[in-house]
Formats: sequence, structure tokens, C-alpha cells
Amino acid sequence: MTPRKRAATSRLGAICTAISRLPRGTGTLIFLMIWEVLARISASSFVIAAPSQILDYSLTHAGLLWRAFITTLWAAARGFFWGNLAGILLALVATLLPRSERLVSTLALLVFCLPLVATGPILRVLFGPGDGPQVTLAALAVYYTTFLPVLVGLRAAPQGWFDLIRSYGRGRLIILRDVRLPAALPYAVAGFQIAAPAAFLGAMVGEFTGAERGLGVLTVRALRALDLPATWSIALLAAGVSICTFSAVGALGRRLDLAPPEVLLAAPVGNPSSRWTGAAQAFLALTVTLSVWHVAMQAYDLPRFFAKRPWDVWRFLTSDPAARAQLFAALSETLSLALPGYLAGLALGAALAMLLTLMPRLSATAIPFAIALRSIPIIASAPLIVWALGRGATGTITVVAVMIFFPTLVACRQGLARTPRAVLDIFAVYASSPIRRLFGAQLPAMLPAFFASARMAIPAAILAVTTAEWLATGRGIGALMATVASTSDYNMLWSAIALIGFAAVMSHALVSMLERWVLSRTNPEQLAR
Amino acid sequence: MTFLKPTRRLFLGGALSTAGVALWHPTRARAEDAVNLQLSWLHSVQFGGSYIALDKGLWRDAGLAVSLLPGGPNAPVEPPVVAGTALVGISAADYTAAAVSQGAPFKIIAVAMQKNPFTIASLPGKPVKTPADLIGKRIGMALANTPVLKALCTINNIDISQIEIVPTQYDAAPLVQGQVDCLLCWATDLPVAMEMQGVESVTMLLADHGYAVHSQTYITTEDSLANRRAELVALMRGEVHGWQDYQADPEAAAELTVAMFPDAGLDLATQKLQAERQVPLMFSDLTEAEGFGWFTDEAIAANIETLALLGTPVSPDLWDRSILEEVYG
Repeated sequence: MTPRKRAATSRLGAICTAISRLPRGTGTLIFLMIWEVLARISASSFVIAAPSQILDYSLTHAGLLWRAFITTLWAAARGFFWGNLAGILLALVATLLPRSERLVSTLALLVFCLPLVATGPILRVLFGPGDGPQVTLAALAVYYTTFLPVLVGLRAAPQGWFDLIRSYGRGRLIILRDVRLPAALPYAVAGFQIAAPAAFLGAMVGEFTGAERGLGVLTVRALRALDLPATWSIALLAAGVSICTFSAVGALGRRLDLAPPEVLLAAPVGNPSSRWTGAAQAFLALTVTLSVWHVAMQAYDLPRFFAKRPWDVWRFLTSDPAARAQLFAALSETLSLALPGYLAGLALGAALAMLLTLMPRLSATAIPFAIALRSIPIIASAPLIVWALGRGATGTITVVAVMIFFPTLVACRQGLARTPRAVLDIFAVYASSPIRRLFGAQLPAMLPAFFASARMAIPAAILAVTTAEWLATGRGIGALMATVASTSDYNMLWSAIALIGFAAVMSHALVSMLERWVLSRTNPEQLAR
Repeated sequence: MTFLKPTRRLFLGGALSTAGVALWHPTRARAEDAVNLQLSWLHSVQFGGSYIALDKGLWRDAGLAVSLLPGGPNAPVEPPVVAGTALVGISAADYTAAAVSQGAPFKIIAVAMQKNPFTIASLPGKPVKTPADLIGKRIGMALANTPVLKALCTINNIDISQIEIVPTQYDAAPLVQGQVDCLLCWATDLPVAMEMQGVESVTMLLADHGYAVHSQTYITTEDSLANRRAELVALMRGEVHGWQDYQADPEAAAELTVAMFPDAGLDLATQKLQAERQVPLMFSDLTEAEGFGWFTDEAIAANIETLALLGTPVSPDLWDRSILEEVYG
């Protein structure tokens, strides 16, 4: 580290300590006062609610908010349970039957990509009145972000341990019990942490499919009534519960005393699968996807009017060139905005995770803020973002980055904490600087988690960009889907879904290739089968 | 918390659900022993007449167990009616026409809103009082409603390319904040919200400028019309009575709505204003003469003309008066 850099670091440290020496709560008080004044000044343009108004609304409507909160929380809790269970089981299947991994991850990705405009009506027809759709949508919102980290965790063990158990003639199940599951536990905790706000948000959004009560219902009502204090009270409640569950899961993880593992030594692996097996697997994934799609709809006897089968989509796309052109134009417009948002969100999340290892004090402020950003429904936060950034590309890219940034941050932080202790000891022995330790030891340990988040950010980016297009910009495939859903053009809707799914799978393959290329140099244990 | 107890049954259920299909046996809506009426939006006084019918036991006395299913932003009315989850749904002629063109077997059996509730709301400083005022303005609207604006422009000889369309959803904030000059919305919705927030607005009802599309229409399938007539007649008879009571005292309907749905976050003053604003849209000389929900052949012809402009041509047999004739017969 150069002297100038060191001086800069120490100056930053001095500012941090100066702030921390202020009496407890002063910062919060100043923050609230600025907020209050800003809200009062801008009252006529209905952008932000003042803290005093929020407090007033929450107190006068405490009973209503409480009942709605409990309703949504109960649906979210069940969705959290089922979704995480599903994510873990999927990861186990993919680990125990390595040949199925490609298929399992493709299906998991595709189901995660299904948009609410398509799943909402189907779930409502399947479940009828009640909170079935809410629970299902909460579960659908979490299983993928648990599946990926757990899959990484199940492999995060030294090669020598597998060899040891195999040399005793024991099989996969023993390896699973004694090596893989303990290694996966910390990764599962990170998955649960990401899942907590997602489940709550999923349950709220699930209420848009026609629910009697809940915080999602109140959000829609408050937005339409231009009732800012109500909107903000609900948003703060959603953010609050997400922060609490996030911290509770984290505390639980620490109670389990998840010490960093030993050095993960593994033999370098080449590329075992030939081009032909790759093609065969892709073909298999396609066939199974189409069959599952068709058979599931047939099994539940869903009317063809709104539940289009693969064959309907194929016929529509091949028979209507105008629709095809419209669809591809919309998709390319969407992807051109999703990509910069995706990269920005990933970079921000990883950068903040690294920054927080250098300055752990900052995390007390940064983490709750990051959770809040993720747990407020986009339809409630979109008006604010649009007001601040406009309806152009900047607003859309920001929405995408915001949605991706949080899971990336959590996963990367968890990855950083998994740096083998022995490696850290070596750096300590040589009295290396924190920066050097970060880039020499912790960054390589973070990479598997980073790539897992890069993969789980693909569907998240698609979801965010289509929502922003629907709510604010009115362009791209998100707006197209919203329009055709309201005019019952379900052929176009399902064609759009199929196309989005295809784009997601392709992007996933691209990220996987990059991941393989990097990890084969830094973390070969992830590629060993 | 019970969800943390990993019982064997829960485990099995989870394992099944990971198979990629939700294998919980979903409880199909109780369509067999009861009748569901699918509303088009969240509970509010918009459906006040139905609540009166339910509250007074009009359906129960006729041997019908009616459930009123709320709608929402992602709850289109057409799928549950096609699937049979709901016997009747509350839609609008344009949505129904679009669904029929996609193969849905719908019939409109009654019309709650004789006048279409679409309005263009603007601020007094820059008002839109006639369609010609739209030229050069920025209009905020849900994109799905673009055909509505197109039809209005065609009827009134206005070049739509001279209007800037800004996609907005759900709230009046873009108008109040000056992002747009006017909003395409329901007369009973955002203008009411603005008035409750102390924001004065100017409204121009599309129905007063040639836009004739029946709204809040009762739709059912051809199959139900053929095979479940008795239930349909009983359901509509309750609706008719409920809405007659509503007309007599909209305020009481607003009070009943707020009392019936304490968890819906409804505000009584807002509901009363909304209840009052929808009366002139639902009741007219025609309903005085023929009764709530009625429609004439002339009205159907006018609808067909506007729907053709919306790009969804329909034939007169989309409307079916036979249920109403039995109700009033």
C-alpha cells in the first residue's frame, strides 16, 4: 500500500470514528428531521410521506395493519418453508445424480421465470378462493435462490475428504451425510437470508391475484387513493419484517457456529463433457420441459383459453409473422436494458460485500438499507424511482440493479466469510494489509458464491425489467405481456413467456461457461463430480 | 411455529412438490355446491348492490350460496369464468369482445354501467373539456387502454399521433406531480381519490363523446346459459334487488361496504363519494322504465360500432337478454 493510500484509509477511519462518537441516536434524529422537512416541502406533489404522517397513520390504523400483516406473514411463512424445502431437495437431487444437474437447473430456472401475469390466473383457478396462490407465489419466489447456494455448498469440501470416505468403501449417502451436508449448511443459511424478504414480497404480490385481505391488498388500495402515509407505513412494515427475519436467520446461523472450512484442495479438472453430451443434455432438457408444460396443464384440465400448450405457442409463432416480429423487437429492447442493470447490480453487490469486509462497521447501516430496498414491492417503490429518475432507460436500469444487488451482496458476503482459516493465518503471519488479504485470499473464496448469484440474478433481472416496463416505461416485452394479458391474447402471452424462458436459459449457459472457465483456475472443487 | 416441524407428511408433500408440478391437490373452488361471482376489482362500493343482496339474504332465500370473489391487479375475470370456477364474472364489453375473439364462449347477460365510466381527468389550470383539448397534451394511462383512446380519437376526428401517451398505473400522482397533463381513468376512481386528497380536477366522460361501451357487464359461458339457467336467474334476481336498494340509498350501501370488509382498508368518506358518483352511470331513464341491468338493441348497435373501432368486431348475439327477461318476467 502506498503512503498516500494509507493516509486516505486512515482519514476515512477518522471520519468513521468521529461519527460513531456522536451520542447514540443523533444520526437517526437528524435523518428523521431532514426527511420530515423534505416531505413537508414537497407535500403538494405527493412523492414522500413525512415520518410524523406515517406514525399517525400507523397508530390510527394499527388494528387494520396488524391483521393485514399477520395474514401476509402467515402465507409468507408457509411459502418460505415449502420453497426452501424444494430448493434444498432440488440441490440434493442435482448433487446425488450429477447427470440430472443440467436438467434440474434448467427446469428450476424456467419455473422461476414464469411471470405473475401468467401464473396469477392459473393459480387462482387451481386453488379457488383462499391463500393458496399467495403461499405458492411466496414459495416460487424463494426456491431458486436457495437451490443455487446449497448446490454450491454441497461441493464446497476438500477433495481429500471424499477420497477418504471412498477409500473406506463408503458410498454417496455417507459422503452426503458426513461431508456435503455440513459443508452446505452455511450456504443454506445465506439462501434462507435471501429468501426471507423474497417470501414476504412474494406473498404480498400473490395477493394481487384476488385476495380478501393482506398487506398487498392494502398497498394497491393506498396507491390508488393517493394515500402516501398508508403506502409508506406498509412499505416500512414490509421492510421491517424482512430486516428482522434476515437478522434472525443470520443469528441462527451464528448459533450453529459455522467455522470456515479447511483449505479446499482439489485436483484441477479438465472439461469432461464432450460437445455431443452437451447437445444431448440440451435436447433432453428441452423435451422434458415441453412435456412437463403440456402434461401439467392437461393433468389439471386447465382450459386452453388461458393455459396455452407448447403446441399452441408453436402454431401461433409459425403462423403469424407480424406477431413474431413484434415479439422479437420487444424482447431485444428488453434485453438491451436488462443487461446494463444486471451488470451494475452484480458489480454493486460484490463491491459492497468487499467493502464491508474492509469496514465491518458500515454493515450496521448498509445491510438494513439493502434489505429494505429488496423488500418493498416494486409497485410501491416504482412511483418514487420514476419521479426521481424519469421513465427512460436510467429508471429501468436502476430498478434492475436494485433487485439484483441484494441477493448478490448476501451471497458474496457469505462467500467471503468462507475463506479457509489456514489461508487467512498465512496472510496474518506475513502481516499483510486488509486489501491484500481481500484480493489474495478472500476474493477467490468468494468466486463460487459470486457466480451462484450471477446465475440467480438472471431471472431476477428479467422479472425486474419486465415489471419496470409494465409500470413505467411502457416498452419492451414486459409492457407487451401486460397488454396482451388484459385483452385475453394468451397466445401472445405464452409465446412471450417461452421466449423469455429461452433467453434466460441461454444467458444461464453463457454465465455457466464463464463460471467454469474462472473456477477451473481458482476453485476446482466446484467442478469435481 | 408449526411450519418448522418437519413431520413425515410435510416432508413427503415437499418431495412431491419438487417434482416440478405443484402436486398439492388444489381445492377447486366450491363450484359444485355453491355459486361464485367473480368481481372485477378489490372489494369496494363499486359492487355495493351485490353486498346488499348478500347482506339481506336475497340469494340464501332463493337457495343459492353465493360467494363474491374479489379481483385485483393480476386477477383477470375471464379465466375463472371459462374454467367454471365462477358462474358469472363482472367484465366489460370490450374485454369480453377481446376474449370472445380469442375463442372464449361468453355471453353478456346484464349491464350494470349503462354509461362507460372512462373519463379523462385533468387539472383546472390545463383542463381537458372536449376531445379537441387533447391535442398536444401528455396523457397518462395503462397501456392496455390504448385502444380506448384510439377509438375516442377516431370518433371525434382527432389525430392520435398528436397526443403523447405516457404509461402510468394505479395512481394519480403523475398528474399531480406534472408528469402528465391528463389521465385516462374511471370517473369513480382516481378523480374521487384526488378530491379526497383536496386536489380539484376536471373530468370529461368518454361516454359523452361517442364512446359507447357497456361496462361492469355480467358475463357467463354459453354452457352455463344452457345448463345452469335456474342458478343464473336466481343470481341475477338478487343482483337486481340489491342494486335497486342501492339506488334508493347509496350512502347506506357505502356504510354496508365498509362494515362488511373491515380488512379491506376502505375509507367511509371515499366510499360515499364513489357511491354517489356511480349512480348516474348505472341508472338512467332506461333502467327506470325497464329495470336495472337492461339493455336495448340500439345500445347493442352503438356498442358494436365502438367495438369495431377498438379492433374487436362482434355480432349482436354476444348479448343475451333471456335471463333478464326471466327475472323481470
